[in-house]
This record gives sequence, structure tokens and C-alpha cells, in this order.
Amino acid sequence: MSMESTRSDNSAKRSFNNNRNSASSNSNSNSNPSNKKKKTSQKTLGVAWGSSSRSSSRSSFNNSPFSNFGSYMVEKNRKLQNQFEAEASTSSHGGSGSVKPIFDGVSIFVDGFTVPSSQELRGYMLKHGGRFENYFSRRCVTHIICSNLPDSKIKNLRSFSRGLPVVKPAWILESVAANKLLSWVPYQLDQLANNQPKLSSFFTLKRSSVSNSASTHAPCQVNPEAEDSSLKVGTSGDTYFSEVSAPFEHHKQISRESDDLVNENSNASLVEETTSSSGKPCEVAMGIPSNIDAKDESSVKNDLQSSHYQPAALVSSNCINNQNIKGSPSSMVSEPSNQSHSTLGDPNFVENYFKNSRLHFIGTWRNRYRKRFHSLSNGFNCTSSNIKASPLKTAIMHVDMDCFFVSVVIRNHPELRDKPVAVCHSDNTKGTAEISSANYPARDYGIKAGMFVRNAKALCPHLVIFPYNFEAYEEVADQFYNVLHKHGNKVQAVSCDEAFLDVTDSEGDPQLLASKIRKEIFETTRCTASVGIAGNMLMARLATRTAKPDGQCYIPPERVDDYLSQLPIKTLPGIGHVLEEKLKKQDVWTCGQLRMISKDSLQKDFGLKTGEMLWNYSRGLDNRLVGLIQGISGSPSASLPHSLGVVVTGILFVWYPLGCASYSIEYFESWQGKFGRHRNIDVWGILPHCLIWCIWHERNARSFEGCELSLREFKSFFLHILFDWSVESKSVGAEVNWGVRFKDVKDAQNFLSNLCKEVSLRLQGCGVEGRTFTLKIKKRRKDAEEPIKYMGHGDCENLSHSTTVPVATDDVEVLQRITKQLFGSFHLDVKEIRGVGLQVSRLESTENSKQGLERNSLKSWLNSASARTEELCKNNYVAKESSNQGCEGEGDETLGQLCGNSVGLSIQMDSNTSNGAACLNEVSVLPPLCHLDMGVLKSLPPELFSELNEIYGGKLVDLIAKNKGKTENINHTLSAYSHEKIEGAMKEGQAALLSSMVFQNEIPVENKAEQHIAKEVPSVSGAESFVPASGLKKTDLIPSSLSQVDTAVLQQLPEELKVDILEHLPAHRMQVFSPNVLLDPTEIPLEALGTKTAENNSGSKDFVLDNNLWVGIPPQWVDKFKVSNCLILNILAEMYYKSGSTGNLSPILQRISSVSLHQLDAFQDGWDEAMYILCELLKQYIKLKIELDIEEIYVCFRLLRRFAMKSELFIQVYNIVSPYLQALVGEKYGGNLHMSLKD
Amino acid sequence: MDRKDNQSPQGETARILVEFLVGAITSIVFLKGAYPSGAFERRRRYMNLMVQRARHPRLRDYIHSVVFGLLPIIQKGMVERAAVIFFNTDGIPVERFVFKLAVNLSYGSKVEEADLEFPLRSFLIKLSVSESLTKVLPRNYRWEITAYFRSLPEASANKDVEQWIPTDTRQWGQPPLLTPIKSMSSEPLCVQLYIEHPSLSEPKP
Repeated sequence: MSMESTRSDNSAKRSFNNNRNSASSNSNSNSNPSNKKKKTSQKTLGVAWGSSSRSSSRSSFNNSPFSNFGSYMVEKNRKLQNQFEAEASTSSHGGSGSVKPIFDGVSIFVDGFTVPSSQELRGYMLKHGGRFENYFSRRCVTHIICSNLPDSKIKNLRSFSRGLPVVKPAWILESVAANKLLSWVPYQLDQLANNQPKLSSFFTLKRSSVSNSASTHAPCQVNPEAEDSSLKVGTSGDTYFSEVSAPFEHHKQISRESDDLVNENSNASLVEETTSSSGKPCEVAMGIPSNIDAKDESSVKNDLQSSHYQPAALVSSNCINNQNIKGSPSSMVSEPSNQSHSTLGDPNFVENYFKNSRLHFIGTWRNRYRKRFHSLSNGFNCTSSNIKASPLKTAIMHVDMDCFFVSVVIRNHPELRDKPVAVCHSDNTKGTAEISSANYPARDYGIKAGMFVRNAKALCPHLVIFPYNFEAYEEVADQFYNVLHKHGNKVQAVSCDEAFLDVTDSEGDPQLLASKIRKEIFETTRCTASVGIAGNMLMARLATRTAKPDGQCYIPPERVDDYLSQLPIKTLPGIGHVLEEKLKKQDVWTCGQLRMISKDSLQKDFGLKTGEMLWNYSRGLDNRLVGLIQGISGSPSASLPHSLGVVVTGILFVWYPLGCASYSIEYFESWQGKFGRHRNIDVWGILPHCLIWCIWHERNARSFEGCELSLREFKSFFLHILFDWSVESKSVGAEVNWGVRFKDVKDAQNFLSNLCKEVSLRLQGCGVEGRTFTLKIKKRRKDAEEPIKYMGHGDCENLSHSTTVPVATDDVEVLQRITKQLFGSFHLDVKEIRGVGLQVSRLESTENSKQGLERNSLKSWLNSASARTEELCKNNYVAKESSNQGCEGEGDETLGQLCGNSVGLSIQMDSNTSNGAACLNEVSVLPPLCHLDMGVLKSLPPELFSELNEIYGGKLVDLIAKNKGKTENINHTLSAYSHEKIEGAMKEGQAALLSSMVFQNEIPVENKAEQHIAKEVPSVSGAESFVPASGLKKTDLIPSSLSQVDTAVLQQLPEELKVDILEHLPAHRMQVFSPNVLLDPTEIPLEALGTKTAENNSGSKDFVLDNNLWVGIPPQWVDKFKVSNCLILNILAEMYYKSGSTGNLSPILQRISSVSLHQLDAFQDGWDEAMYILCELLKQYIKLKIELDIEEIYVCFRLLRRFAMKSELFIQVYNIVSPYLQALVGEKYGGNLHMSLKD
Repeated sequence: MDRKDNQSPQGETARILVEFLVGAITSIVFLKGAYPSGAFERRRRYMNLMVQRARHPRLRDYIHSVVFGLLPIIQKGMVERAAVIFFNTDGIPVERFVFKLAVNLSYGSKVEEADLEFPLRSFLIKLSVSESLTKVLPRNYRWEITAYFRSLPEASANKDVEQWIPTDTRQWGQPPLLTPIKSMSSEPLCVQLYIEHPSLSEPKP
């Protein structure tokens, strides 16, 4: 290593350090030097040293003119500078020496893509006396110019920019234009604008970095009360306080207030606005003793003591005493046979396993509760939606049974009430069974849930252990909820022993009500319950914590702050071990300390959602609503997260897959992941993956196929994918990971078949069937020893295989067969197996499949152009209507035969299919939304359906009745007189219909229009004539329902979004805003309709002959196709809107290809017309584009050719249009388009 | 930059187009591997896009002078097509990259550079990934730039025009196969780029 190279390395290094120092010293105003920062700089130092020694070891460098890379760069930069200066001297205005150039002293570095380009910017700098750096260097560069920054750079802005301003290129341009150097501040990169450091983060970050020097001064400033606690707390507390106080010492400008502030810090209630609340300390000091009653006080104090080292303060003292007692073996328990507790030798193992599983009980309890109290909760659904919660005095009650699992078991053993009792599935003294619940006397011994029986017995030798008694639990839980439902109609079940009540609307003092409820619970169940009352769910739950056992606690809003300030963070719901550790690393132990951290930095450190939650919870804010059912607008709790949820659902349109929830709050509930519908939770989970996938897909399309989706197209593409994915988002299954030991294959098979029984029962219990089966096996690792936990699974490899069957099933035998196959594919030694699980996914609702639905109900929400889906959709609709009328068979029949139906079907069949077609027509008149809504309607449970019906003022039932009436009529003759009105309506539909159907049915329909007959019309036309009638009927139902669902959401959206959505659904908008135009077709005079029909018929004949299919916005074909009765044409029209209404065909075709190709042929009637019109459409399009955009045509035809491989119809269309295209290309370009099939 | 201000919209369009053609033709030549890749260097040159630039002064000058020679003719809207043609040793075209140009002569308002450059930029992006659409060229091929005029310009009109000589490039007997690469159409200017290959029925040389 030569001396020279080392030195140059060093000097380079040193200059870097200088840079840093100067950065931090001169940019105090706009930067926040943090300790994090310091760390990174140290790291780079180390790396630099390493690299310097590495480079010097490469001796070859010594021979080259540059001793190493560093000196090469120095030289290069020097040359570049010289070049630049030379150029500058020639190109600048130069001569006007008296005027100082604009960019004197400015030196820019351009990062990444900019408009104008870096070269142009360089030109400006040349001309106007600035400097342009090719390589970033803190020393020379004064401004960084860029239009866009990647996220990683934003996050590490400081290390990227070294504190230099990051400015948009517009700054330079406008400075040139103004002929003077403008301030760069307004041109700062937008991405950074919200990244400005805040005062609060400045404090919090500064704190730890400067604390050491000041620590000695600190304790004396702590006020007496805090000292009191910190004495017991010990050193950790001391250092904390000193750290907090330190920064204030260092900042003289606020030193006068520092005493107050420190006081406040000691109470850990410093809020972001530090200086504003100097009066607070005294309030806090007296708050604790006076506001909380004696018992509470002690517990709060305990918290205070323990908050810095152990959350379970109540127990800890006892714990120490008792831990010394060595447990003597208890005589109460006899040695149970090992055999019966493993799969060995117990044929009913699986059954017993689940019988004895508490988790299983809790899991299945929810279903039970739903069934039992469904009617109740439904009942208040309707009523409570009208109730506006008054914002000022909401009262939420949290009712929790005291050690439920124990107290229920011992309610018949009063003598055990004060003895330590625990519940556990096994009471083997040496056992490694885990205690699932212990009563308060037992907890005094330090016994906790999750503890091994062995250890518990050691702590408390006379601990009485009971097995579970699930019947009793069910009974008590039911009684418990009966009491709750008696007293409030807004009940939200959390678990079998825990619930929230919204008692805002109840008369009287909530505290009195609480005691009443507790009394009743005790009387009926002989078990005690505790109640917490507060203004929201969070505080109510926390209050219960204070209230326990067998007590009640009310936290009025004004005491929330005090209550929280000393609360250990661990107590807050949602803060688990991991989060707690992270927070403790930041010296946050209590909610009060948590409150000092700004929301921004919380969100930065813990993510948006968690950060938000922490911020809210530490302030006692909680916007969840009991029972999830509330009016949305005007609700006081509809705060930021709520509106955020609304915006997000709005932007992404995710309310489609989320389903029919009419209240946006529900979306958000499920977003939080704890409440709300399961499926919605899943959808939220899928969302990010789906988005990324779509972006990736689009990126590929852009770079490899050269086609781009507009933003709007992309949105709906994304939605489609989301729908598809959310179909598979749910699974039902069972897993056994304890006690699994097999002797031989027969054992294993036996076990599997029992597992299948269980899974099958669960499937049936949930009312679903599944198509994908996943068998998971835990296999002992080779070197794994026998697990510590008795019969546990120990260290295992997780293996899984899965298979998908075409038809969904919940049948035990099928399950067993599949599982056996799957198991065989593992090729395992059964003795190594430690756990087995069977998961069933791709679930479909049993009810739906009974009606003939072949797919999951979600699938039918796909408003895609998939012919299959649409067909299903309409079939379902038909099926539903008919089944609601009590004739399910009819629907079934339709469904089964629809695909293959042709001309010669029965009248009834025809009428049904045409009903389906009617749906279609109306679908194309309406926006795609109505598909969704139909799907929603269809998949609604009866109760919900009736509820909806009520909301829509009974229209739903009317509709069904009407349809029903019509269907019946068609079977007889058509009595014209009574149905005059319907016919009137129908004629309008016909007109529209025929305009695209051209040939076949013109004559009979025209006859009808003129004569108003309805005698022996040929069945086909008769059926068709009803199409429009029902179709039109539906149009007036569905949009109105949508407008109700949607506008609620729409109103909350920002203006641009609203416009965007409305544009996206133009037809829908029409429905919403001018309901009278279409809603009452029956009112239109018959004569008028007659003439219209005639007009349209004549029009329909010649519109294809004109060259005007592509004229107008939207092009004429869109409207024609919309009202066509051909599925494929409908789809095209629909896709026109979905693809962003660009007027180009290729995005439309592309959308179709992205949905489903192989089902395009799934229709029979109107084949010829469809083909003819498609060909015409394409020909006109070719004519339109051939001169200017051969690429577009090329893309379209390649897509068509791809369709042709899957679809009969498109083969024909392609074969007809292709020669025409080639001829035209030959004419214009003197060649043929290259369309070979090889690619 | 200053000359921009006193130019007709067509002049401005033509200037942008010519600059684009230089970049595009260089890209094509690079794409086809006519010269070792060392003969090119990547430059952030055209509309901030990394494009290839010929290193050899003669190659660079050839492309530059030929295309800039087109400038006055394009301005008058007389160039219908400009093609980069690759020949085999017999002088029979193997592959032709054709730019079909249409300058709107009646376009009156000011041309915004960015409005044209962004669509044109996408040509270059598309070109850089189009290698799979092209054919493998035979050994010892040659290439040239050919322009198809709507009418022959008067020889005296401009010095640059004189550089253009009528060519007797051999044509294919059969209509060729077209593979469109990219199209743009805007009010002042429409450009289409496609590749022509001899039709399959073309007698093999």
C-alpha cells in the first residue's frame, strides 16, 4: 500500500466528515439531526475504511496513472469542471460583465429524469453563470434538481441529499424567465413537502442524544409525586426523566417553561403542543387521588410502580412470596394413561380432541351466537339505523364475565369460590397441559393462563383443577347474552363471555344500569361479571380492567387523560409483545409517554395503521362503533380513520368486492381486521398484493406488448383481479398438532378419515362447500428430540400438498378419498408425523349451489364481460326470483339447460332465458354496477333480502311478483288488455332490441306493435316480447337501489373522485340524476311507442350500411350494441366504458381478453347478426385507422386472432375481415400485415 | 433556442421530427448490429432518454447529414416515407424499416415541443425492445437511408436537397409483409414506423 493512496483516501474521508459537520451546523433550521443519522454516518465511516484498505491491496492500481479510484474521480471531476468553464466562457452572455449572472454561486446536480432534460438544465447553468456537477458532492453542489424521487431516497432523504435543498427543475426555468434567482422554497419537491420536521419530533429525537451530559441535573427537577414513584422504579426511571429534561436545558429559549414541562413529563402527559399546557401538572397531581375511588387508586399506583418493569403489578408481590414454596406432588390426580391421549389406540381421538379444545369452543361459539341472536340483531338493524347517536354523551358499556371458564365450572361448588381453581383439559400433576383459565384466588398465587400444570402446581400445591364443561359454557353464555339483549339493543359480541353495549339511548344513569345488569347476570348464571363504562369502546374496556373482579368502573370523559397517563402501554388493546418491546426501546412505557410522540413519527416507525392506532389509543380515542351499525354521515366518531377508509374504498372501488355493506363504516371496521365480515377482512388483506400484481402486469404489458391501460381501465382491471382473488380467500379446516403419533399406515388412515369427518362437519356448519383441499403435515425433523411439551409436536418441518376438484363438496367420503390421495403423495414414514391439518378453500355457499349456482357467490359479483359469469349472473337472478316465489325447480331447470338451449325449447324455457336476456339488456343500458347489485341481491340471505326490500320500499317484492306474473302468463295466452301497459313498456324495449337484431323477429313484432294482439304468437317472439318489459322493470329497481347504496358513499368522496366515478358509470349517472326519463316506461303513450318501434326498425336495417358506427362520442356502435340481445355485443359496449372510453378498439379487445376468452361463444341466438355487425364494426374501424394508425389495427387483429383460437364466432369474424384488411393495407402501404400464427 | 421563435409550425415540426429520425435511425442501425456495439455509446440525449449515438464521426455524419438534408423537404410535406433498408450482397433488400410521415401543412398554431416529443419518445422505447420482430441479416449486408418523395424537388431549391440522388434500389416482386412497430398521430404530425419483410412467396435470392 503506497503512502500516497492512503492519504488520498484519508483526505477524501475527511472531507466527507467535514461535509457532515457543516451540514448539521448550517442547516439546523430545516433539518433534524437525529441519533439515527449519527449512526449511519458512523457506519459509512467504517465501510469507507474497509474499502480503502481493500482497494489499496490491489497492487495493479499502483501501476496505472491513477493510484486508485478516488484519485481518478478527483481528476475526472477536475477535467469536467475545466470543460464546463471553457464552455461557459464561450456560451454565456458573458460580455455583460456589469450584471451579475442569475445563478452566480449556484451549483446544481441533476438526479434522474427531469423535464427539461439534464442537458438543457446544464445549458441554462452555462448561460447564466451557474455550475453543473456531473457527480454529486456535498462540497460543490448547492441544489439538487429532480422531478421525482424513488421512495427509498425519500425515506433516507438526509443521506441522499446531505441536507441540500431538493428542488424541481421549474425553479431554474422560472428563475431564468424572471431573470433573477428566485427562492427555491416554493419549488421544493412535493414529495418532501409533508416531510418537514416538526417541533415535537425535534424534541423527542434530540432527547436521547444530548441527555448524558445533563443527567446529573435532572432528578432535582422532578416533582415530588414523580419522585415518589421513581424511587421505587429505580434507575431506569431516573434516567428516563433525566433524558426528558435534558433537551429543555439545552434550549434556553424555552428554559423558563422547563420546570413545568418537566413536571408534565413526569406525569407522562406531554402532548405535541408542549408549551401550551403549563397549568396541567397540579391538575394531574390531585387528579389521581380524588377522582378514582380507593380501590382504583391503589391499582393505579401499582401500575405506576410496575409500569417500568412488569405489567402485572397486582400479582407480583404475591408471586415473590409464593415462588419459594416448593411444590409437593399432589395426591389428587392419578396418572392418566398416555395411550388415550394420543392418536395411538384411541379411535375417537379426533372427535375428543375437538371436544376438549377450548379454542375450538370459542371458535365455534361465534357461529352459534350468530344463529341464536341473529333475529335479535337483525331486528335492531332496522331500528338503529335511524337513531342518531348524540355525540356528547355516548355511553359504552363493556361487560366481561370474571374468569368465565372457571366460574362457570365452579358455580355448583360454592365451597370452592375462594379456593384457587384452574381449568385445564388434563389434571396430571406432572403434566405439560396448559392452564386455560384460573380464578382470582389462583391468580394470587401467580398462576396464569398458558402456564403448564406442572408449574402451576409448584406455585400452589392445593390448586384444584377442573376439566372443561362445554355444555355449561354454552348455557351460561346464552344466559349472559339474553340478559344483555334485554337491556340494550346495540350489543356487539366479542367473545362468549365478553360484549360491548351501546347504552347511549337508554334512560337513566349508565352506572345504575350496569349494576342492574351485573345483578341479573349473577342471578341467572351464578357467575359474576364486571362492567366498564366510558365514552367509547377502548375506554370501556380499560375501565373493566379496573373494575375486575366483580365490580364496575365509570371513566367520565374528563378523566380519560388522567387515567391513561400512567397506564402501561401493554394494557392497550392491540399492543402485543413485539410492539411493546419496540416502544420500550424508545423509552415509552406508559400511554402518557406515548402521547409525546407525534403521529407522524409513530406512523413512520410502526406503519400507518398501527401508528394511527397508537396515537389514538394513547389519547383514549376510539372511533369504533358498537354493533357496527350506525348512520355514517354526521356521526361524531366518523373521524379521520373513517374518512380515510371512505377515501380508500372510493379510490380503489373496493366496495364492490367488499359486498353489499351499505355503511362505509363497515368497510373500515373490517379494514382494522378485528371486526366486520370475514370476507371483507380477507379482501383488505388481498388488496395490496393484488395491486402490486396488477401494476406488474401493466408494466409488462407496456414494455413488451406496447399497450397501455388508462388509469380508469387500470382501475377496473384491478377490480376484476381483486374479485377473482377474493373468491379464494377463505378456507375452512381443522388441524391437530398435539398428540399425533402413528404406529402404522392404518393408524394414519384412520386418523385422516376422522379428521375428514370433522372438517366435513365444519363445512356443513358454515354452510359451504369447497373445491381446493390442502393437507398439511408436520414432520419431525431428523435431529429433533422429543418435545418438552408432552405429546407436543416439537421441532417440525411443515409440508403441504393440495388439490382442486371441479365440483365443490362437503361430503365426508369425497373428502376422505381426496385426503387419502394427498396423504399418499407425501411418501412419509407415518411415525415421523407430528401434526396433520386439512384445509378446504375455494368455498362456495351450499345454498347457492342448491339453487344451481356453480360458483362462489362472490364470483357472480364479477361485473366482467365474462360470458360465463354473466350468464350465471342472470341465471341466478332468474333462479332467485323464481325460488323466492317458492318454485325452485323452475330456476334449476333453466340453469341446467340454458347453456345448451336452442330454438326448440319449451315455452317456459324460452321465457326464462329471455328473462335472462332481459337482464342483459338492462345490464347494458345500465352501468356494470347493476351486475354487482344483482349478485348482491341474489346472494343475500332471506333476512337481509327482506330488509333491503324494506329499504327500497317494497319494490323488490313487487318486481318479483310482476316477473312471476308474467312468467305465468306466458304459459297461457297473452291477454292483451290486462297487459296493455306492460306491452307498452315492452315495445320500447323491442325497439331497442331490434335495432341491433336486424333480421329474424322483425315481422312478428311489428305485427304486435300494430295490433296489440297477444293470442297465438309464436312462442319465441312471445317470449322475447317480455324481455324488454321485465328488463325495463328492472331498470327502475336497480339504479334506485344503487343510488341509495352509492350516493351515501359518493357524498363522502372528494369532488374529483365523485366526478371520476360518475364518468365511469355514465349510464348510471343518468339513472340517478334523471330518474324520470327511464323509470316509468309504462307512462309513455302507446301510440308514441308504436311509432318509435317503427322508426327504430327502419333505422336498424340501415344503420349497418352507413359508415357511422365510429362517429360520435361515444361512437354510435356503443349505443347500438348496448341494447342488442347478443351477449358479445353487450360485452363490447360495456367494455367501451370500462376501457376508459378512448374510442380505440384495442383497449376494449384487450379488456375482453383479460377477462375470459373461452366463453365468448356461450350464446346461440343472434349468432349471425352478431357476426355481421362485428365484421362491419371492424371494417369501418380499419377504414378509419388505416391511414394514420396501422399499429392500432395491428394490435386489434393480433388480439382478434388470439380470440379466434378460442371462439368460433371470432374465427368467422377474423376470416371475413382479414382479407378486407389485407387488401386495404396493400392499397395504402403496398404490403400485407404480417399475421402469421407463430407468435 | 432562439431560432424557434420565428419559425412556422411546420418548420418546428420538421425540426423535431428530424431530430427524432436521427436518434431512431441510429437506434435501428444499432439494433441490427451493423457495427460492433463498441461503435456506439449510450447518451442521455434525446428527450432525456438513453439512446445510442454513433461514435465514429463518419457514421454519425452520414446519418446526421442525410436526415438533416431532409429537413427542408419534410417542411414542405413532400417526404412520404423514409426508410432504412438493409440489403444482402446482391443488393436485394432483406429488411426495411419504414417511417411513414405526414406533416400537416395547414396546421397553424404553435407547436409545443413536448407534445410531439413524448409520443416520439415511445418510438425509441419500442424500438429498443423490437429486436425479436426483426430478421437475422445475412453476412456482409449493407444499409442505406432512402426517402420517398411525393414529387421530385427542384434541384436548385437548396444545397442540402442536392445531396439526394434518385436511387435504383431493387424492389421485391411481391408485396411485402408489414409488422407495425409504433404509430403516432397528432394534429401537426403523424408518424408510423413499420418493418417490411419480403413476402413468403418471394423467390429466395
